[in-house]
This record gives sequence, C-alpha cells and structure tokens, in this order.
Amino acid sequence: MKVALVGASGFVGTRLLECWKLGGGAFEVVPVVRSFSSLAVMARFELPWQVCDVMDAPALARAFAGCEAVVHAAIGDPSQIVGMAGSIYQAAASAGVRRLVVLSSSSVHGQAPEPGTDETSPLHEKHAMAYNTAKVRAERLLNQLAQDGRVEVVMLRPSVVFGPRSRWVADVATQLLAGSATLIREGEALCNTIYVDNLVHAIERALVVPEAKGEVFLVGDAERVTWREFYAAVAGALGVGMESVRSIEPPEFPKPLKERVGAITSRPAVQKLLPLFPSQLKRLTKVLLSNWRDTPMPNVWTLPPGTPAAVTEELSLLGQCQWRLPIGKAERILGYQPPVSFQEGMRRSLGWLQFVGYPVFDSTQKR
Amino acid sequence: MQTPALPIVLVGCGAVSQFFYAPALTALEGAGTLKVEALVDPSAESLAKLAETFPNAARFARLEETPIDSRLVVVASPPKFHAPAAVHALTHGAAVLCEKPMADTVADAETILAAARSSGSLLAVGLYKRFFPACEALKGLLEKQPLGRLISFTVEEGGRFGWQAASDSFFRKSVTPGGVLLDIGVHVLDLLLWWLGEPETLLYRDDAMGGQEANCRLELAYAGGARGQVHLSRDWATRNCYTFRFERGVVRYKVNDAAHLEIQADGMPSLLSGTLQGPGGRPERSNPQSFIAQLQNIAATLQGRETLRVPGEEGIRSLQLIERCYRERSGLLEMPWLTPGETTTAQHLASL
Repeated sequence: MKVALVGASGFVGTRLLECWKLGGGAFEVVPVVRSFSSLAVMARFELPWQVCDVMDAPALARAFAGCEAVVHAAIGDPSQIVGMAGSIYQAAASAGVRRLVVLSSSSVHGQAPEPGTDETSPLHEKHAMAYNTAKVRAERLLNQLAQDGRVEVVMLRPSVVFGPRSRWVADVATQLLAGSATLIREGEALCNTIYVDNLVHAIERALVVPEAKGEVFLVGDAERVTWREFYAAVAGALGVGMESVRSIEPPEFPKPLKERVGAITSRPAVQKLLPLFPSQLKRLTKVLLSNWRDTPMPNVWTLPPGTPAAVTEELSLLGQCQWRLPIGKAERILGYQPPVSFQEGMRRSLGWLQFVGYPVFDSTQKR
Repeated sequence: MQTPALPIVLVGCGAVSQFFYAPALTALEGAGTLKVEALVDPSAESLAKLAETFPNAARFARLEETPIDSRLVVVASPPKFHAPAAVHALTHGAAVLCEKPMADTVADAETILAAARSSGSLLAVGLYKRFFPACEALKGLLEKQPLGRLISFTVEEGGRFGWQAASDSFFRKSVTPGGVLLDIGVHVLDLLLWWLGEPETLLYRDDAMGGQEANCRLELAYAGGARGQVHLSRDWATRNCYTFRFERGVVRYKVNDAAHLEIQADGMPSLLSGTLQGPGGRPERSNPQSFIAQLQNIAATLQGRETLRVPGEEGIRSLQLIERCYRERSGLLEMPWLTPGETTTAQHLASL
C-alpha cells in the first residue's frame, strides 16, 4: 500500500519511516514535510519525499498523487492544528485517497480525564490548554468533512507517546540531571503511556482494517504505569536517585496579563466593538501592555536560588490523572495488540538517550 | 597614501552569501577596504535579493560573462560548483576565496589547487573559525602547554538542522555525497588538524542507511598519545562543546562562542568562565567579526601586508580527512532502539 506520511520529520514520523523502511512491511511511504531543512534526518534513507505547505490543499493533493492512504502526524500551533486538518482532508479527497489516518490526542478529553472516560465521552471546547481545544476542533472538522464520503477517516487518540526522540524521555532525563525534576503528589497519577512502536502498530491496523472507517480509538500500552514509575526508569539508568525528585502540589498557572487581555479582545463580539474606541486609546493600551511586568524586579539581597521546579501546566494536569484510558475498542475493532511492553520500550528509549550522548549506564540491560 | 578598495566578484547568492558575506562585505565596503563590483548567480531571484544590499554591483548569470581580472572572486555557490568557478577565476587572473568545503570531493579540490599553483594567484578557503580568538587561544594552549600535555578531548557539535536550505539537493546523496560530516565536520576537522595535526589512527561510524548521515562518531588517536572523540549531529541537540583534558586542567570551548573559554586548572575549586580580551581590556573578536577578519586577512595579503592564514593547501586537509572517514567507515552506528530485524536491514542498506 502506498501511503503519504504528513509530518514525516517529527518524532512519530521519524520512527514510522524507520519501521517502514527497515521492517520490510507492506507499506511504501511518501514522506511529506513543510521545509527542505526538515529532510535532514530522513535523508539517512533514499526516499521519494515531497516538500510543500501543509495548509496548501492543491499542493498537498499533488504530493498525495498515487497514494491509497495518508497518515497525518504533523504538529503545529492551535490554529495550524485545525487548519491542517481541513487542508489535508481536502487534498486527500482531491487526490483520490481512500483512507486518512489522523493522529489526534487523548488530550481531547483533557490531560486528567474523568474516571469512566472512553471514546464515547462527550467532548468540549473549553479546555484550559489551547492545544486540547484545537484537537477537539480538528476532530470535529474532520468528522464534518468526512460526511461527504470521499475519504474514510480514522482517528487515533494516543496519550503520552514515548520512545527515541521523544520529548518525554529527553526532557525528563535533562531535568533529572539538572536536579529540577518534579512530580505532582509523589507521581502517583497514571501516565497513560504508549511506546512509539505500539502507536506505529495502531497506525498500521488503522490503515488496513475495513471496520475502522469513521471510528476513533484510544490507544496505549498494555501496562498500567504511574508517573513515578516512568521517572524512576529514566532516573535509574542515569544513576540519579529518586530522592532528588521533588514532589509538589499542583501549582496554579495564571495567564500573563497580555495573554488575558488578548483572549478577551480576540472574541468575535469584542472585535465588533473595538472600532468604537479611539485609536489613540488602543495604541496607549498596547504600549502599556507591552511594558507591563507580571513579576516584580528581583531583590538582590537574597540567598542563592535553588534549581527551579520543572513543571509546566501540561505536566501539572497530567500529574493529576487518575484514569487509565481504555484500549478495548482498539483491541476489538482494530485488532490492536501492543507488541512492545513498557519495560522494553523504556529500554529502547534509554538506548536512544545513550546514542545522543546522555550518560546512561545500563540501557542494554533488560529492566 | 590610501590603498584602493579591493574589487570583489561574489559568485553564488544563496543563504551563505545572504547571511554571512553580505553583512561582512557591507562592513568592509563602509571602511573602504573593498568594493562589491559584481554578483553572479543563475537564479535571477537570488541575484535580485542580494542586489538589494549591493545595488551598484553588476549582475551576471554566469561567471564566464563577468569581468574578473585582478579581482577577488568569492566562490559561495553550492560545493559541487566550486571547482569550475574557482578554476575559471584562477586561470583568468583573479584571486579566489573559496567557501568551505573547498569542493565536494578531494579530486575537485586538487584541481583547484593545481590551478592556483600554475597561475600563481592567491587561493584562500573560507574556514573562518580559525579566526575565533577562542580557537587561537586553544592553539596556544596546545602548543605552549601551560596546562601540560593534552591527554584527551571530546568534541560534541550540532543539533536539529536549522539552516534554511533552498532545495533538497543538499540532502540528495547523488548531489551532495555526505551529510553532517561533510557539513559541520569540515570546520571541526579543520580546527583539529590545525591544532593537533594528522591523527595516527581513526575509527569512523555513522547512521547513513542508503542516504546521508545525520549522526556520526569519530575516534582519533595522535602520535603524542592524546585520544579524542568527535560526535556530530544534525538530528538532536548535542552539548555543542569541545572539552580538552590536559595534564593539569580542563579547557572548554562552546561552539561558535568566538571569544569565550572556560578553564578549570587543577587546584581551582570552581570553573573560570570568561571573555577573552585584547590590549586595553577590549573584548576580542566576536563570531561575525571573525568572519570579517578572514576577509581583512585576504585583502591585506593581496596588498602584501600580511600572510594568508588559510591557503588552499590548508583548506584541502579537512576534506581529505573526511574522505578518509567515509572510505574507512567501520560500519553503522549502533542504534539500540531498532529491532534485530531492523538492524539487519539497516546494516545491509548501509553497506550498499
């Protein structure tokens, strides 16, 4: 099967290319990327790559020519996430592509989904994180577009995808070595991991299983893994003791004033009212906002600061997850059986960490 | 009496000319050192873009149409076009500055060198990192040995590829024969050759599987007993740091931090991290100022005031070492995340 892979230079795309070039499988891949500089890593192989703007549906359609299916693994900011979904669907339809497999995200349910959440749970567009809302909008747009019946759409919702070149592995390792690694409430929350090869397996099933048409699937590893276990696996390989990892309560993440004002003024109703305000007042407001300091100047008479805790809003929310997302539907309809255990996936990930220069001691040892 | 401005012909109006040569030549034009007379590029679009910086320069699609006698021809086109342009310029009475790599093969570089020798014209190679004060300081430390003999070194350089390539030719093995080693490795190996001379033995491996390498590792051993490891990547962020372990201390140079070094001599409980200074406490040359210094050295050499710092004979050495690495490649880098079956296929692809 000839498959176009949009986002071929990303973390998942890079591993997918390796699997398909080295695995001797049934997929002939056409990588599609946005810029020539994105070719640097995939150029390890001889490949029939295509370079085009993923927002440009006619250009994408030319890149998809002759492909039976498309895998959409591209990432972007919230507006690109929604825009790409539309352009890729339209391009697939124009090029006569039969099936489009989309990497959505379990973030459509939030980073800490309610117990009982599954594929049937209703989605909303009021998430704290703009990324989640964009993923919901992209899914809704694709569902709406797919009603014309021109392309079969299958959507996968992975959660914490880890593996070689994953930020989860590299960032955790960097923070552990820097002494800034931090867990929320001792890291007892559930991590909902999926090793990247298991995601590749899910993509392959989604490409070929007829009954997957129009469906959405949560996908994950077979094991139940906590954040503490995830960090401990990396820490052990680096020779860093878990006692150096701080545990905190979930912090608050107030939005900067400029962002808060921006969120208000970008609302359609407010946009209609803006012309009523004098331009001088608007200019003055912009100047004031650009010079506004959310944090006061630091006092120089202080003790040397410690290493700051490495907790983002996303990590804080993930660190409160108490629900293991079910993969039963994927098992039932896709025939999804994660081929790599969490332990083996972590062993391979640590091998990659060593490859890129991290001081890993025992990546070759079975854990 | 004021020296007349050196006339310049700039061949190749792509990214390196736009981001490096244009600002450097503009600065030197302002100082009256040189004057950009002509721009050469087959792409009208690229010519027009650079003409915004040099509106008075004549524009040509081909070097053969361009007056070049007694001028300095800067060859900054893609590497595979260096040899024909440089040979043409050298055999028509021009001096040449050839951007790195000197050519895409040693054979082509030797052709350029032969043309320079038979014409007697100046041939310089654009290896401007030799002009970094930090690299000059390291050369002094390695030669004068105030911290003792060199024991070992590690070089880690590179990260996610960020250069704005204008086409995919840079990544096609059929057009550009090497990956990261031929790209950033040219500077790295040139500095190592300048500092330490030729290695006695080398062990080279990379991750090319039918295409160009994105990661490579090189182990080097030298006559004096020093050993070194080089890790280059256009795939993932490295520490971008050169670390030299001497008998009595450690010195670190951060990649592209032209006037900065870190030193920890034995007995010092803390690391000394500082900016190199010239006479009167003036900070030493920055990275862009080092690029300008390279052009100043060429202009001063043509005027008989200085000796050329990086002639063709020096420029070809890193290219020779790179070809040796590819020729003596010891197989595929181990990629522990690949399955056994994938590894077998990868090794097969790498051996083709």
